[in-house]
Amino acid sequence: MSRSSLYVVRLIVLLGTLAGVPSSASVALAAEIQIVAARGGSVSALSTEEAEQLFLGRRSTLNSGERVTLIDLPAGSVRDRFYLLLTGKNPIQTRAYWSRQVFTGRALPPREAASDQQARDWLVTTPGAIGYLPADVIDTRLQVLLRLP
Amino acid sequence: MNRQLSALLAALVLTLPTASALADMPNLQISGFGTLGLVATGASDLRFTNLGIDQPDSTNPDFGPDSVLGIQANIAITDRTAAVVQLVSRENPRGNYNPRASLAFVSQNLTEAATLRVGRLRIPFFMLSDSLNINFANPWIRPPVEVYGLNPFSDLNGIDLLYRTRVGETDIEVHPYLGRSSISIYSSGNARLTRLMGVNVTMSTEQLTVFAGHGESPLTLNWGDKTFTLLTNLMPPDVNKALSGNDGHASFSSAGFQWDDGTWLLIGEYARRTNRRYANSAHGWHLTAARRFGNVMPYLTLARQTQDRPVAEASFSDPQLGALQTALFDGFNISRNGAQQSVALGTRWDFRRDAALKFEFTHVQTTDNSWGSSFFPHGDPMLIDLRNRSVNTVGVAIDVTF
Repeated sequence: MSRSSLYVVRLIVLLGTLAGVPSSASVALAAEIQIVAARGGSVSALSTEEAEQLFLGRRSTLNSGERVTLIDLPAGSVRDRFYLLLTGKNPIQTRAYWSRQVFTGRALPPREAASDQQARDWLVTTPGAIGYLPADVIDTRLQVLLRLP
Repeated sequence: MNRQLSALLAALVLTLPTASALADMPNLQISGFGTLGLVATGASDLRFTNLGIDQPDSTNPDFGPDSVLGIQANIAITDRTAAVVQLVSRENPRGNYNPRASLAFVSQNLTEAATLRVGRLRIPFFMLSDSLNINFANPWIRPPVEVYGLNPFSDLNGIDLLYRTRVGETDIEVHPYLGRSSISIYSSGNARLTRLMGVNVTMSTEQLTVFAGHGESPLTLNWGDKTFTLLTNLMPPDVNKALSGNDGHASFSSAGFQWDDGTWLLIGEYARRTNRRYANSAHGWHLTAARRFGNVMPYLTLARQTQDRPVAEASFSDPQLGALQTALFDGFNISRNGAQQSVALGTRWDFRRDAALKFEFTHVQTTDNSWGSSFFPHGDPMLIDLRNRSVNTVGVAIDVTF
């Protein structure tokens, strides 16, 4: 028991120190989030319902039959706000939902970029890619499919 | 401490910082989940057990009932074909942590609405079957045993179909399945569902999920503990035929709901099992209410399992052996009756994006003819009475996903 207690204490201390990470940027000041795809690419229109179903892993194609690749931003306030606006799920609900989808083998979460810039580059270069970005990161290589209120 | 458990702990700690670093290859994604849990019981003559999952008579406090580590590989073979392999290590009824394949299947999207899967799948007996190892997806340290202990079978070696459709704002999934399943029973027994067929329907809106399912199979069951061997030596052949063998039949039904509006989380499930012989027939329910305060979510669970029919019925009139036979036979029926009720009060704290810390206090009450589903006698089972017991347990657990 003494060795196992030691493990637990170490684990709790480790996790406790990691827990103090503060949450980032205030929501009120953040830019509008827009769902985007490459300008001139295969995806040119998207309904809110299609977007919600895609980003919940419930489908992987558009109504037209076009197969799409989804791009996620890194964990943070923009991603949290995107899922809340599109699916109504807060970050904790979203994580529990995806852990269930993944570990039942039903669906895989979107491919996660390391930064807004990498997400933008992937969206431009990956055929059939759909993602979301803050309005101030979107450039002329991308077209806006949906604006989230 | 058990070496395998040490390895499990070490792996849990090591995987935390690396998070999804392995998940970059487009065709292969590695992910995982784990729980490190410790549970302590307030009675010295019994031991906590996660019925049908861990080894019943071990230490107190015990890492065995709740600790689990799972690693999963998703392989995209084509646009429409994928493979999933999931290995899970947790204490089993034989008392070791040997990893086993909990999922190993190939899936084919036949259409956008229908996916066919073949191989090792999870039996979807319950609304929460898919996440019974994935505690991060649930509020509790462990799902209420009064319901989820009613059916210990987990693996489906066979085939299933996921058919999804949407009606208005409601997503509907119809899930027929077919196959076989086997489990180990403490300490050297086993049980098999030899031709399992069933179907589930799940309806989800943004906040509400409703589930109903039914499955049936012929059942083979061999108990394998010392007390059972002693019992069979003293029973007439016709009684022994009702206690174990390969002529059983089990049917299972369940219905559940989950409401989650972001603040309140309500979960309820009712399940019923009916056995022709070898195991008892029983039903159980639980109701859980949880409320989120930011990252902290306290919860309250009420649960109850009730026996509908004992394993077997018999009377013994032998002038010399009759009294002993009756005592042993009744004792056997009582030991196989998981009836109990419980109140659990706990809290979940999501202290990181990928980790939650949980505390849970549970008060369990067994009935006047049951051992219940949470405890096992520590020492000679013939001398320890688990009936009408009122026992408190406390648990602490850390759940992670990566």
